Amino acid sequence: MTWVVWRNHRNQTYVAAAALAAFAVLLLVTGRQMASQYHSALTACAASHACSNLANTLTLGNPAVSLLVTLTVAVPCLMGVFWGGPLVARELETGTSQFAWMQSVPRRRWLTITVGWALVAAAAWGGAVSGLVTWWSSPVNALEHQNFQPSQFDIQGIVPVGYALFAVALGIAVGTLLRRTVPAMAITLVVFTFLRLVIGQDFRSHFLTAITEKFGFLTRQGHRPVVPTGSYWLVSKGLVGPHGLVPTSQPNGGGVSVGVRGLPSINLSNLPSACQPLVFRNPRGVFSCLTAHGYRGLFITYQPASRYWAFQGIETGVFVLIAAALIAVTAMVVLRRDA
Amino acid sequence: MMTSNNPVAIRTHELSKRYRRVTALSEATITVPEGRISALIGPNGAGKTTLLRLLAGLARPTGGEVAVLGRHLSQEPAFLADIGFLAQEIPLYRRLSAEDHIAIGAHLNSRWDGAAVRRRLESLAIPLDQRVGTLSGGQRAQLALALTLAKRPRLLLLDEPVAALDPLARRQFLAHLAEAVADGGLTVVLSSHLVADLERTCDHLILLAASRVQLCGDIDALLAEHQVLTGPRKDTTAIERDHTLVQAVRTARQTTLLIRGNGPVIDPAFETSAVGLEELVLGYMGQRAGTGSAYLTTIGEVQ
Repeated sequence: MTWVVWRNHRNQTYVAAAALAAFAVLLLVTGRQMASQYHSALTACAASHACSNLANTLTLGNPAVSLLVTLTVAVPCLMGVFWGGPLVARELETGTSQFAWMQSVPRRRWLTITVGWALVAAAAWGGAVSGLVTWWSSPVNALEHQNFQPSQFDIQGIVPVGYALFAVALGIAVGTLLRRTVPAMAITLVVFTFLRLVIGQDFRSHFLTAITEKFGFLTRQGHRPVVPTGSYWLVSKGLVGPHGLVPTSQPNGGGVSVGVRGLPSINLSNLPSACQPLVFRNPRGVFSCLTAHGYRGLFITYQPASRYWAFQGIETGVFVLIAAALIAVTAMVVLRRDA
Repeated sequence: MMTSNNPVAIRTHELSKRYRRVTALSEATITVPEGRISALIGPNGAGKTTLLRLLAGLARPTGGEVAVLGRHLSQEPAFLADIGFLAQEIPLYRRLSAEDHIAIGAHLNSRWDGAAVRRRLESLAIPLDQRVGTLSGGQRAQLALALTLAKRPRLLLLDEPVAALDPLARRQFLAHLAEAVADGGLTVVLSSHLVADLERTCDHLILLAASRVQLCGDIDALLAEHQVLTGPRKDTTAIERDHTLVQAVRTARQTTLLIRGNGPVIDPAFETSAVGLEELVLGYMGQRAGTGSAYLTTIGEVQ
C-alpha cells in the first residue's frame, strides 16, 4: 500500500524535495553570512561601548532573502491546498476510488496509509522549513528580540509543523466532503487562512494569563520597577486611572515617553485633555497634572520572554487537535459513505 | 428449479437504495446461482449501476439484505479478493501506465495474475508503458477488464463493460469471459443495453425497470415459461385468468399477447409461438413504461 501511495505521489514528492533543497542551500549560505555579520558588529560595538543601540543601526542580511523567509508563512497553506485538497477528492472525482477500493485492501487500511503518509510528509516538510528558518533567524532574534511578533512567531519553532498538519488534514477533509478537487483546494485556502488569523489575533494572547505590572510616576525616587527584558510580548499598556486601568488604543503605538527607561511610551490621546498641552511645554509637569487628576501611574500587560516555548507548544497543540478532529471526520465519511 | 441444489453466488432480499428523494432500487430480491453469466438488463436509470455497486460493497443499502458468495458484505481482504468490480466510467489512473497498474494490483492483492494482463494486452497490441490517459477508450476498457480479471475473483460485476468496445472486440471479450466461466469457480453479472450480445453469452437474466426487479432467472427457463399468442381481436379475460399477462398489443384486427404461461393455452383462436430474449425483455419494459417509451437499445452502440 505504501508503494502505491509513493507511485501516485512521487512526482510531487520530487518537486517538493527539490524546492526544499534549494531553499536549504540558500538559507545555509546566507545564514552563515548573516551570523558572521552579526558577530563582527557585536565585536565592533563592544569596542566602542555602543552595543545598546545596535538594533537601531544594524541591518542584517539581504532584504530579498528576508522577504523569502517571511513568505514561508505560506508553506503550510500550500501543502494543505496542493497535497491535502486533491488527496482523496481526486480519487472520488475521477472514480479511481472504485479501482483502489475494489482491490483486496480494506478501505480503512487504504485511508490510514494514504492519509498517514500525507501527514508525515506535511510534518517533515513543515519541520524542515521551520528548522531552517529558525536557525537562519537566530542573529535576527538575538538582535531584535521580536520572537513573539507574528511575522517571526508563525514561521519559527514548532508551530509551522502544527500548521502544516492542520492544513493537510483540512484539505483532506474538505476534499472528502466535497468530492471535487478544485473547490476543495479553494475552500482549504480560505478556511486555513481564516482560522490561522482568528487564532493568531484573538486567541493567542489568552493562552496564558498575561502579567500586569504597575509603575508609579516619577520613579527616580528610589523605586525600581520590574521592567521586562528580552523578547517579551507587550499585550497592552496605559495609565492607572482613578477608575481602573486605561489602556492605550494601540499597544505598540508611540507617544509620550513615560520617563522610565525600558518602558514603552503612552499615546497622547489617552491623557486627560487638561494635561495634553503640557506634553510639549513642560513634560515633567505632565505627571503632576496626571496625579492631580487622580492618575496613579502606568501599567503594562505582557507575556514574558520565558513563555515563548509554552506559547509555541500550546498553539501547536491547538492545531494538532483540530487536525485530529478533521482526520476523524474524514475517516467517518470515507468508511460510512458510498464510494 | 433445476438449479436449486447449486451454491448461490448472489442472494438479495428486498434490497433497496434511496438517495435523498430518488429511489434508485426498490425491494430487489434476486438469486444468482454460482457459475452463471447473468445479464443485467434495463433502461437507463432503472437501477443497474446501483444494484452492481450495492453488490460490490461500494454503496450501502438503505434497506434489505444482501449476501454474496454465502457471506455478508465485508471489508476483509479475503472477501474483497473474491469480488471483481468494473465501474462504467472505467476508472484508471490516467497519469500511470498499464505496467504501473499491474504493479499496483500486485501490491494490493495477495492473489494477482499480472502475467495474464500482460499477455492479454500484448495480444491486443496495447502498449504497456504508455500513460493510460493517452490510450483510446477501447484500449482503456480492455486494460480495465484485464486488471479486474487479474484478481481472479469468484464474482465478477461488470457495469456496461462492452460499451466502449467495437463489435469485434465486444464479441472477443464476451468469448473470453465465457471461457473464464467455463474454467469454473466464476460467476459474472454484467449490465448492458445490448440484448443481442448478451443473448449469445449469458445464461441468466436480471431484468430491471423503474428501479424494480421484473424478472430474475435462468434464461432458458424464463423463455420456456413465456409464450406469444397471436389471434383475432376478442375478449381475453379467460386467458388472463389462467395466465399472467405481461403485455398485450391490440390492433383493429389482431391481438398479440405476451403471457407468462401456466400450462398450455387451450383457446384455438390463438396461435402460440415461442418467445425470444429480446421480445421478452421488450415485453416487460413495455409493460412498465408503455410501448412507446421502451428505451432499450437492441442493436448498435449505446448512445
